[in-house]
Amino acid sequence: MTELRIGVFVCNCGSNIGSIINCSELADYAKNLPNVVFAEDNLYTCSETGLTKIKNGIKEHNLNRVVVAACTPRTHEPLFRGICNEMGLNPYYFEFVNIREQCSWVHQKEIHKANLKARDLVKMGVARSARLEALEKYQVEVTSSSLVIGGGISGITAALSLAEQGFEVYLVEKKRKLGGMLNDLYRISPNYEDPSEYLQLVKKVEQQPKIILHTNSEIISIEGYIGNFYVTIKGQNKVESVEVGTIIVAVGAQVLKPVDYYNYNGKDIITHQELEKLLKENKINQKNIVMIQCVGSRIEERHYCSNICCMNALKNAIIIKERAPDTNITILYRDINTPGTKNELYYRDVRKNEVIFLRYNVNKPPVIEDGKIRVYNNSLKDDIELDYDLVVLSTPLIPNEDNKALSQMLKVPLEENGFFLEAHVKLRPVDFATDGLFVCGSAKWPVSISEAIAQAKATAAKAAIILCKPRFEVEGSTARVDTEKCVGCEVCIKICPYGAITKDDNDQVLVRNVLCKGCGLCGATCPHQAISINHFTNPQILSQINALVERE
Amino acid sequence: MEFEPKILGFLCNWCSYAGADLAGVSRIQYPPNLRVIRVMCSGRVDPVFVLDALMKGLDGVLVLGCHLGDCHYIDGNYEAESKYRALEMLLENINLNDRINLDWVSASEGMRFADLVDEFTEKIKSLGPSPISSSTKDLKLLDELQAIKRVFSNSRIRSLIGRERKITLLENTYGETIDFEKFNKILKDALDSEFYRSQIYLSLLKKSASVKDISQEINIDKTLVFKNLLMLRQRGLADVAGVDGLDPIYKAL
Amino acid sequence: MEKESSIMVIGGGIAGIQASLDLANLGFHVDLIEKEPCIGGRMAQLDKTFPTNDCSICILSPKLSDCYRHPNIKLHTLSEVQSVSKKEKCYSVEVKKKARFVKEDACINCGLCIEKCPTKVNDKFDMYLRKRKAIYLYYLQGVPAVMAIDKEHCLYLSNLDKGKDICRQCENVCPKEAIDFSQEDQISTFNPNAIILATGFRQFNPSNIPQYKYAEFRNVITGLEYERLICASGPTNGHLERLSDKKPPKKIAFIQCVGSRDIKNQKYCSSVCCTYSTKEAILANEHDSEIQSFIFYIDIRAAGKGFQKYIERAKQEYQVNYVKGIVSEIKIDENENPILYYENIASSELCTMTVDLVVLASAMIPSDNIEYLAESMGIELDEFNFIKTVPSEPIKTTRKGIFVCGACKEPMDIPSSVTEASAAAAQAAQYASQNKGD
Repeated sequence: MTELRIGVFVCNCGSNIGSIINCSELADYAKNLPNVVFAEDNLYTCSETGLTKIKNGIKEHNLNRVVVAACTPRTHEPLFRGICNEMGLNPYYFEFVNIREQCSWVHQKEIHKANLKARDLVKMGVARSARLEALEKYQVEVTSSSLVIGGGISGITAALSLAEQGFEVYLVEKKRKLGGMLNDLYRISPNYEDPSEYLQLVKKVEQQPKIILHTNSEIISIEGYIGNFYVTIKGQNKVESVEVGTIIVAVGAQVLKPVDYYNYNGKDIITHQELEKLLKENKINQKNIVMIQCVGSRIEERHYCSNICCMNALKNAIIIKERAPDTNITILYRDINTPGTKNELYYRDVRKNEVIFLRYNVNKPPVIEDGKIRVYNNSLKDDIELDYDLVVLSTPLIPNEDNKALSQMLKVPLEENGFFLEAHVKLRPVDFATDGLFVCGSAKWPVSISEAIAQAKATAAKAAIILCKPRFEVEGSTARVDTEKCVGCEVCIKICPYGAITKDDNDQVLVRNVLCKGCGLCGATCPHQAISINHFTNPQILSQINALVERE
Repeated sequence: MEFEPKILGFLCNWCSYAGADLAGVSRIQYPPNLRVIRVMCSGRVDPVFVLDALMKGLDGVLVLGCHLGDCHYIDGNYEAESKYRALEMLLENINLNDRINLDWVSASEGMRFADLVDEFTEKIKSLGPSPISSSTKDLKLLDELQAIKRVFSNSRIRSLIGRERKITLLENTYGETIDFEKFNKILKDALDSEFYRSQIYLSLLKKSASVKDISQEINIDKTLVFKNLLMLRQRGLADVAGVDGLDPIYKAL
Repeated sequence: MEKESSIMVIGGGIAGIQASLDLANLGFHVDLIEKEPCIGGRMAQLDKTFPTNDCSICILSPKLSDCYRHPNIKLHTLSEVQSVSKKEKCYSVEVKKKARFVKEDACINCGLCIEKCPTKVNDKFDMYLRKRKAIYLYYLQGVPAVMAIDKEHCLYLSNLDKGKDICRQCENVCPKEAIDFSQEDQISTFNPNAIILATGFRQFNPSNIPQYKYAEFRNVITGLEYERLICASGPTNGHLERLSDKKPPKKIAFIQCVGSRDIKNQKYCSSVCCTYSTKEAILANEHDSEIQSFIFYIDIRAAGKGFQKYIERAKQEYQVNYVKGIVSEIKIDENENPILYYENIASSELCTMTVDLVVLASAMIPSDNIEYLAESMGIELDEFNFIKTVPSEPIKTTRKGIFVCGACKEPMDIPSSVTEASAAAAQAAQYASQNKGD
């Protein structure tokens, strides 16, 4: 083993540290610590002068570990690691000791004790640095193509965006036809576009040479990891295997069939999806039409608001009104959900249009009986009776039944309703926690076409970020399994938040370094203490504890 | 001179370490007794580290993570909580549970960080120096800590703790979930039994002895000693060494 | 893939940050233009975020430093776009960078200058609830973590033209000689291949609704003021207290649709208020479990992922009450307790309620320079001055090569802004690669 040669650089940070901590004394103290061959203090370690001093230190004293006692690693570690790297020293041989934010600044009135603390911290840092290991970043080759599952508006948009950025895309659709729910719609809110305008995109897909289309096809298996997924697609006549770098889930959702609600019969009590079909065929001539909102949603068994039903009902009401202005349309609602500018304006217009809005109470929902609808009215404190020739129920989008199977193949979670669960609700809305996998559209949550398009393009950006480089690179501070100690109990496999631990063909547990984020959960949990966490190994942490209690 | 405790802190990189940095940037003053080890996630803190620190005579150990739900690694802090709770259960047996603390600090809570350090330092000051670091080193307590460390190195126990959230939240291998209370009881029983076994084993390592001797030495009821000795024998960790009068003498293997 | 193209992102809030990061990771050079001294935008001002109650700055700050350190991203703070013209394959954009009077690469954020600076100024970041100095760090976790001097209030700079040479204490005390009073505003020209607008929103001033007496009553505050009050790094260190008497409130009213869904002000819905008010009410109860909240609303709009469940939890676990009704007027009693006059729509009764604190969910409106920006870019705005898009192309403005994301095109929440930001990145990348050859 090469001799340890540790250099310690103590920063005065002007007077920020220097006015509380006697930095030259601290450097002298460091000189006497084990394996320290060089120590000095300087005014600003992060200044060009300070950095040059580190460089010279490394050169002149042949240092193979560098410790800087200064501000916080959260802002300055990359800088000093960079300097080590520049000098040919592995950046993971660098150790940071925080004596500003966590010492001089917070103990300004207890100078003596602050100095003692700074010594302890430096001692711990030196001890740890002696145990640091050189690490390299991991790289995997990336197959420069993507799989998009689902050929609705989300899937089509994602596939086109990727193809137009120059990547090959396999687009897999269960049904015969692309377009998904667009095929069932008559017009689209709030601008009454004909779905065929959007379905132009289908033609674009068919003409796009970079898109390899698999209709009437299903995914039957997915193996692998970021950059290297192996997917088996079963078509009508053949089974095909493809290799892709990323996968986008765009499987959409389905409309709830309200079999248990409001005497639904598919004839004079129908869903909006069925209404759209009748509108297409121009078969609507009923005089009294009642629409009921939140049928099967925002209730005990299905808490969520399905987002798009209010706008859809408003749009259908207007279409009917325009065709037959004397149709009486009543919308029974709980809250009208038309957020934003365009939707709210649309709602305002509908309100002016002789459509009647009646609010109902979820505890006293409308009742359909003897050809009439009875609904309790809060202002009248009594029931109102409505005639109807047609009742249209706004039912929510619900997850596809096969989401579960797909989620298992991808090893990604579903949320409680069965929609796909993203990595972070706020800041990683289209990513899965597992690298290389993305989700968009109503597969994740009910969304409008416009939102689906935005999400689909977002997944295209995320996928392209991976596909645009030949290799995917991750930090070296990951977990590693000691195969001698490992008994294959799989506790780590279940606990890893990123699905980074798996078993190989020989049933041996292994960490997929590219997926590992180095959190260390597996290391702290492994029943046989067979996993060590690079850069935060047990010996490194225990050496810090040891240093702290050692008597001088 | 007033007692100045030495306290070790494990801070997660993303929230609590950032909170500590913010306390600095805001110049919030707090007692200078804490020495910090930065880890990426509070879930990295193996109970063995905490025990190691206590055995070496540190006066207290503070573990701080992101607030529940805020973990940078999705749910690492929940795992930290499981481990901490198990550790607390056993330290309670030897009255050392007050010397450890697990809490949550976000990156915007510089004040909260300082308050937590302040409170914990005060608490440790009121408890006095660790019985292990003081001049009259409590050797019995050290043995007990050693035994607890063995418990937390034991694969069965680690496996049980590691599976806690899967078992209580999701499902076990038979597709059923166990409610939290029930799991806690199972865990507590397992920890206690393993603690006895470790104590017996460590005691036998020092000196072969009869059930009665062991019972006196580590202050456990004789039937419990006997029961757990059987388990140790099954695991091949102890065996009969001879007979003293009518009493069999046991030895560690 | 080799890319020499560069893209300009205007606005350094969460949308602009995300768009910049994605583009940078796609290999483009990004110039990120931010008018304040630090990036972070509105999200940096929030305490927690719904529906997970994640600490806002905790999840934002890693992105701030990623942005700062990314070799492909150049941050331009204190900068504003002056004019835009189309060249052959790119745009030509003039950007004015206001003088910071502090050398960005020298300042070490030690704060000695702040201690010495004699001038106190109301702090914009803290919604004017606290004072800062004329030399200041925009906010504690701000990036870049360097000071800026507020020219208008600095004793030295504001007296220069009167021929006086006073103060300069910061200059004397700075250990790094980072203060540079000779700095001047600079105009630079950039030639981006595509532009992304992410200028965000500001809050409607509720003084425009006289019956709410926002300007008069100290215990009537806005949602953003509340966020700062309840934030641990805010002006009260996170102690929720009334501005009139520093007493902790026990009963809080949250009024929805203040200036939104209002014919006299903004006709549109601000999208996020129902959920953020719910969050604010939950946070109040987490601070003090005796606090009761009342949310006055027209329609509850909580269609996002997990939002309805969030509202259910607020009702069941955090003493949050939802009252369907519009508050017509606010008065106060002798202890400055606000009294609300409202119609309870559930019971069709006119009621009053006395509370300790009123929080107004004030409308989100476009940022104040948007008209100027739109005109110089040649893009259309909608009737409310949000940037105009159509539903089938949610990311495209009316001009080729200029894209838009986040709350500058319509009020929206963080996940939607982040999603659109990535979408804008994809779209700009697509545009830039397709227009490279022609």
